[in-house]
Amino acid sequence: MRKLLLVLTIVFTVLAILFSALPMDTLAFLPIGVAIALSLVTLLKSEGNQKKFPKILLTISVICSVFVLGKTIFIKDEVEVDKTFEQQKIETKQEAKKELEELENDLE
Amino acid sequence: MKRILLLLPMIFAFLSFTSSTRMQVRAGEKLVYAGSYNMSGLMTQLAQVTMSTENVSTAKNNYLHLSCELSTYSKWDKFFKIRDIYESYVHPTTLKPSLYKRSIDEGGYTKKEKYVFKNNKVTSTVKKRTYPESSRTFNIKPTSIDAVSILYQLRLVDFSKMQAGQTKSYTIVFDEKEVPVTLKYMGKEEIKAGNLGTKECYKISIGAKTDALRGKDKNLIWLTADAKKIPALIKFSIPVGTGQLTLTSASGI
Repeated sequence: MRKLLLVLTIVFTVLAILFSALPMDTLAFLPIGVAIALSLVTLLKSEGNQKKFPKILLTISVICSVFVLGKTIFIKDEVEVDKTFEQQKIETKQEAKKELEELENDLE
Repeated sequence: MKRILLLLPMIFAFLSFTSSTRMQVRAGEKLVYAGSYNMSGLMTQLAQVTMSTENVSTAKNNYLHLSCELSTYSKWDKFFKIRDIYESYVHPTTLKPSLYKRSIDEGGYTKKEKYVFKNNKVTSTVKKRTYPESSRTFNIKPTSIDAVSILYQLRLVDFSKMQAGQTKSYTIVFDEKEVPVTLKYMGKEEIKAGNLGTKECYKISIGAKTDALRGKDKNLIWLTADAKKIPALIKFSIPVGTGQLTLTSASGI
């Protein structure tokens, strides 16, 4: 039972790290939450020096949650200035003007 | 995710009402929204949607250019970059469309569409990825409008004279076909509207005869209950989940 819990804790801790590193926003709290819960249960099921590894996993998950919370609070969502996109918009507008003039001629 | 974000601007497409021309949509207006999608119960911000208006003139006519842009936030760009433009060139007063264009680039999937409105006919030109360009002409109802101008037409409606539960049926042109749409006025609610603060808003439910939208009264739009009728919040429910567009800033209104 403890081994199964430990494996699950490791899996969710790895997921927590991955989700924290990726731009998953608050979605990262899902694997982090599960990892913390599993770490605590594993810790309770462990005895003596068995407690060391679950404690490490718990610490990692807590650090991940602080990291994600920090990202959510302090990093603002921004759209990058995309020169190609800006150029595309200018060209599309020029094309549209020609197309409108063609339409006006057709309607006459 | 591609499907979800494809559908974000499509939400605009299901907004239609007959218009009274009491209020006029001005050029120079810019509305910025934060687009979020519900991932496993948590709203995750994915993209910015910008709606803007400007005057465009040809040698013979003046038009109002209505533009709706969707760009993913830079943090998502490395994983799934989206740059979409939906635009319509309409009569400045009646908002009747002459030209509708759609250009999408969603994680490498590209598609360009052009609809030319000529009396009661539309000539569409579609170019998908590397496929050859296709073109067709089809008849439409005289009142049918395009996906972008509809949102602006909606803002011309006088909701103060409507009663909760009152419905209206309309038609839009989207994806080379006409789509019937039913809208229901649901009363007033207070909503946070970005830099405009908390505003009393008209709540409208959108229903369409399409598989793209799901649930009864789950596709909603809140318009500020003032003369401007700025869309403050849009919620949508599609087969793969739910999401929303929240107004972050409004300028030039």
